[in-house]
Order: sequence, then C-alpha cells, then structure tokens
Amino acid sequence: MKDMLLYLLPIVILAVGGFSLMLVDAFQKEEGGLAIPTAMLHFASGAACLALWNYAGSPADLARAASAFNGWLAFDRTTLFLDLIIALGGGLASLLAGSYLNEHKLERGEFYTLITFASAGCMMLAGATDLIMVFIGLETMSLGVYAMTAFRRTNARSQEGALKYFLLGSFAAALLLYGSALLYGMTGHTDLAGIRAALAAPLDVPGLAAQEGGALALSVQQTVRDRVVILAMVLVIAGLAFKIGAVPFHMWVPDAYEGAPTPATAYMAVTVKAAAFGAMLRVLVGVFGDTTGAASLAGGWPGLLAWLAVASMVIGNLVALSQSSIKRMLAYSSIAHGGYILAAFVVTPRAELLPGGEGTVGQSAAASVLFYLLAYAVSNIGAFGALMLAGSRGKEAVSYDDVAGLGKRHPAVALALSFFILSLAGIPPMVGFFAKYNVIRSALEANYTWLAIALMVNSAIGVYYYLRVLVKMYMHDPAPGATRAEPMVSPGIWLTLIFTAVLVLVMGAMPQTFFGYALEAVKLAVAPVAAAATP
Amino acid sequence: MPTLVQALSAVETVNSVSLRYQYGPIFMTVGFALIIAGAVFALATFLGPKNPTPEKLLPYESGSPTTGAKHVRLSVKFYLTALLFVIFDIEAVFLYPWASLYQSLGWAGFVEMIAFLTMLTIGLVYCWKKGALEWET
Amino acid sequence: MGSIQLTHYLVLSAVLFSVGAVGFLVRRNSLVALMCIELMLNAVNLTLVAFNRWMPANPGGAVAHHGQVFAFFVIAVAAAEAAVGLAIVLSLYRVRKVVRTDDANLMKE
Repeated sequence: MKDMLLYLLPIVILAVGGFSLMLVDAFQKEEGGLAIPTAMLHFASGAACLALWNYAGSPADLARAASAFNGWLAFDRTTLFLDLIIALGGGLASLLAGSYLNEHKLERGEFYTLITFASAGCMMLAGATDLIMVFIGLETMSLGVYAMTAFRRTNARSQEGALKYFLLGSFAAALLLYGSALLYGMTGHTDLAGIRAALAAPLDVPGLAAQEGGALALSVQQTVRDRVVILAMVLVIAGLAFKIGAVPFHMWVPDAYEGAPTPATAYMAVTVKAAAFGAMLRVLVGVFGDTTGAASLAGGWPGLLAWLAVASMVIGNLVALSQSSIKRMLAYSSIAHGGYILAAFVVTPRAELLPGGEGTVGQSAAASVLFYLLAYAVSNIGAFGALMLAGSRGKEAVSYDDVAGLGKRHPAVALALSFFILSLAGIPPMVGFFAKYNVIRSALEANYTWLAIALMVNSAIGVYYYLRVLVKMYMHDPAPGATRAEPMVSPGIWLTLIFTAVLVLVMGAMPQTFFGYALEAVKLAVAPVAAAATP
Repeated sequence: MPTLVQALSAVETVNSVSLRYQYGPIFMTVGFALIIAGAVFALATFLGPKNPTPEKLLPYESGSPTTGAKHVRLSVKFYLTALLFVIFDIEAVFLYPWASLYQSLGWAGFVEMIAFLTMLTIGLVYCWKKGALEWET
Repeated sequence: MGSIQLTHYLVLSAVLFSVGAVGFLVRRNSLVALMCIELMLNAVNLTLVAFNRWMPANPGGAVAHHGQVFAFFVIAVAAAEAAVGLAIVLSLYRVRKVVRTDDANLMKE
C-alpha cells in the first residue's frame, strides 16, 4: 500500500490537487488566481517523476512495483518519461491559460480543475497495463479535454468543435471497448501480460484432441480465435488512432483545435498525443509485439500502421498548405507530426541488434517515439504560446493576414513565433530537426527506405507552409483597413516562452543526451520493447 | 488457460436444457398479460354503457381543467438537475459490490470506499456552492 | 442447440453494436448520435458479462469476474460521458439553436 502510493505519486499529486482546486474554486469570493497553483501542481508532479526515476532503475525494482500494482499500472521509466512530458505540457499550458483567459474574459476556475484531472487521466492512460485501466484513463483524459474545448461558451465555433470532438471521440472509445471485450473473451484476461501469454500459447481444449475428429475441431477453433483477435486488434488500433488524430480518423482535429481556447489547443496537441502513443506502445508492442513467434497471428499491424503514417503525413501536410488560419494550419500539421511518430512506431517490434550494440532496432525506434513526443511538446507549446501572445482581445492573431507585417510592428513577438515555427519545421539547431532525424534513422535501420523517403519529402512540404508564416510576418505589409493582430502585454506568457525556448535549444544542443534518456526509458520497461534474445 | 472455445464446449455438454424449458415461465407470463389486458379492453368496449358528455371527453389531468398546449417546452433547469441526478445515481453502482463483499474486504475496502465517497461529496459541495442546485435563479 | 448459449449473446451484442454504429454514421441528430453511442456501449456490456458468465473456472475453482468489473466501469463512465455530451449539446443549442450535426457547419470550407 505504501509502495503503491509512492509509485502513484505523480498521479496522486494531480488528483488530490484537482479536488483541492475544486474546493478553492467553490469557496473563493472572486474568480481567478488558480493558474499559478495549477502550474505548480503539474511541476510538482513532474518533479516526482524525476525523483522516482531511480526507483525504477533495475528489473528487481520493476518486479516489486508490478507486484504492488497487481498488473493494473506499469511503474517503469517509460511511464515516468511520458508522465514528465504530460506534467510539462500541462504545467506550461496552465501558465499560458492564466494570461490568455484573463485577456479574453474567459477566466473561470473550472478550466484549471479540468486541466488537472485531464492530466491525471493522461498519466493513467500512459501507464495502463490493463484494458480496464486503459479505458478509465482514456475517458478521464477525454472528458476533461472535451469540456476544455467547449470553454468559449458564447462562441459557436468552440461549441461545434467540442460537439464533433465529443461525438467522434465517444464513438472511438466504443470501438476500443468492443475490441477490449473481444480480447477479454478470447483470452480470459484483461491485463496485457495475461493476454499476451494466452495468445502466445496454442489453443488447447483438454480432452478434445483425443476424441475422434478432435484435431480438426481444435484447428477450426484456433482459426476462429485468431480471426477474432485480429478484429479486436484493429478495433483497438482504430480507437487509439482517433485520439492521436491519424488519418482516416482525423476529422475532428481541425475543428476542435480551432474552436478550443488556444491554451487548451496547445494542451491537447501535446499531452493527449503523448498519452495515446504511450497506450499504443503498451498495447501493440506489449501484447502483439512478438511479430515472429507463436503470437504472430497479429503480426500485420506494423504494415497497417505504416499506411496510417503515410496517409497522415500526406493528407495533413497537403491540407495544411491551403489553410488561411494559422491555428488550423497548426492543427493539420499536428496530424502530419502524428504521422511522423507513427512511422517510428512501425519499427518498434524489430529485434535485430544495432551495430553499435546500443540495444535493438525496435528499442531505438521506441526511443525515437518518446524523444519526438518531448521535442514536439516543447516546440508546440511554444508555437501556440507565441500565437497567443501575438493577439489580444478583439485583435487575435488567427489568420496569416492578421500577422502580416508583425516583424516590423512588434519584432520581439515575431521573433518568438518564428523561433518555435522553425523548430516545428525541423530546421537544424532546434530540437525539431533531431526528432525527425531520429525517426528517419530508425526507419532506415529497419530497411523501411520508402517510409524514410516519404518522411523526408513530407518534411520538405512542411517547411514550405511553416515558412509562409515567416514570409507574411517579415516581408508583407498588412492590407489597408484589414484587422491586425495587436500583441497582448503578458509577462507570464513571455516567461513561459523563454523557458520553452531554452528547452528547445538545450535539447537541440545535446540531442544524444536526451535520446539516451529516452533509450534508457525504453529499455527498462515492464513490457520489454523488442529486447534481443540474450546470447 | 480458460478460453472461449473451452467454455463453449463445456457448456455444450452440460447445458442440455431446451429453450422452451428455460424461458417457458417468461413466455407464459407475457401471454397471460396480453390475454388479460386484451380481454379487459374488449369487455369494456363491447359491454360497457356509453353516454359521452364534453366533460368526459377531456383528457384527464388530476381533475382540474387542462391548460396550455400539448407540447410544453421544458426549462433547461430540468436538464441540469437530470444530469446531476444521473451522475450521482450511477456512481452509487460501486456501492453494491462493495456492500456484498464488505466482510471480506476489511479495513482496506472501508477506507477505499470512504475515499470514493469523499470524492463524490466534494463534487456535491462544488455543485452546491456553484449554484447548480438552486431552482429559482 | 436449442438452448441459449454464449453464441446467442455474442450475436445479439454484435447486432446491437452494429445498429448503434450504423445509426451513428447515418443519423444527423446529435441527440440520436448520443443514443447510438449509448447503444454501442451497452452492446459492449452485454459482450463482457456474457463472456464472464461462460468463462470456465480457474484451476483453483474460483471464477475471476473481470468482465463484470469492466461492465461496472463502463456503466459509470458512460453516465459521465452522457452528462458531458448533453451539456455540450445544450451549450451549442444556446449559441446556435440547432441540434442537428449537419447544421453545425460553421467551419466547413
């Protein structure tokens, strides 16, 4: 019990904090003032992740944690790494929200309660090793984010975006649930390790093989089970792909991203992705990761994901080209980024040893996923923060035309926006470049040359529309009489931006160090990602 | 490893009870209900005396004169109350398994349930203070 | 055959799930869409408890009730989900006076 509370510390801090925020919000006389406490809660949770890092330092530690949780949640470095991304994203987003909501007269205490509970849900999802836990984490996360999307209550776009997000999200959750129910029925287990073990063993009905025609009956039953398991796997992939926003499950992304208040957009782009990819890593690699062994019946998923990855990149990038709203462009580009991450995901089940002896190809690919999520988190929070900063009440920076000439009028704000846009585009000194580089390297290591080429071509397309923002800001003048964005005065957002900019530069300067942490996180995981057979 | 197919074959051998036998009582109940209800209606229609007056043809509304149109637009307040009712009502679902296993769960189960109920109470207090339970606003 | 077996429940729940899914994709009223989602979730519940009912006992003789537990959680979460969904529908209605998903088209380009 005491062990369990220790391992759960990042989630417990957020959950208890969320209830406290609720009570404070209910009893305080005036609205407001909750942004800083919320950010502190998130950062405390992140600090707990860092402090617990060494409690997950050996297989013996993991075994002790596993017995405390009884297979419900994983306490390992993968979880801690993802939790750290979530805590960072949530903390920075609530700092941004403090200024943004005040400026736009949206300041209500609910936002901070919602973001705190949603982060707790994200962490549950990222660490879940049981299908029941996956569902609870997913819904805790989603319900908070739906409500945050609908937060601009008098704005029809916000309500529409939220309705679409809610309806499609619930539909996806139902698909995932049906898949989970089928997996449970086929194996008798809801915990991922149990499902994996049950599927790895060939089907056996005691006494049946000895009967006349028993061998035939057994093989028919085995075929039925395999087919149902594949259907279940496809349903689970579809449910999680919805949350990631991968094509063809991306319809809600642009509307929800555009309708939501910008801090909520930044939040859901970063943390929901991190949590959903974490769950995907556990379910796909944890249960169906052995694509060559006895459980190879579901070995087709890397191919399926490769198609999802290419479709997401191509469609996300092509539609982003034609957008006139920067917020919508960032939404489509987030679909494309999801595609890049999926490309690394395709390689995760490969168990060949790397030439350098640094783990296996699959582990390196999974580390690329984690590294990308972290890099995307800091760059994206920064980009949305700078976009918020560029506008003020009634003079928001939404479309490309709004920011025309911003470079001359407000050079500092324009510089901030350019900086993060360049990181998202993947221009070398920034961390965004190394994130893409790692993914391409992983694809090449596993001989997915076509995937690597698709990724490079798509990054090039991405650079075009990202640079359009810079061209507008520095080389165009605003059309006479058009609305122009006027930056808001906000030390809070500036501080957040400086902090994220430092992270972008530091991670860009030492990509190997951070990739090393990610690799360590992958190697010490409860469900080992494609560990090579020990010689 | 228990599996679906094992379950199927086990059930196939044990369960030889017919559909009619298992569900017979239910079909009989439904049949009786239909016959009796139909018979009462038929008797009333064919045998009962009829001398309608305008008052008798009015819809019955607790004896008082009917007012307003058929389709009344319900206040949004009803939705809010209904939403809160659904949430607090359904969350009580966890109390039943806990109550039936109360003895064997011991103190750990008790503490966990208290924690759960505390969370629900915080939610209730929040609704209260935010004015969601006020009808006259 | 002749008696109610696991297969019957599975077929029934698959049909219910499909009715919900098709209804969700075809109907354009957001309240109907919400009901379709509830139907899908209930189909899942039926699947879970049916599997649990027919799950053979462990070697120790006890039957694990993971399916039943799962169904409880689905019920509880579905209620919360419905509450949030209805609140969003109401909130959209306040702003736009529509409940049909076709009319929620401000962002079509």
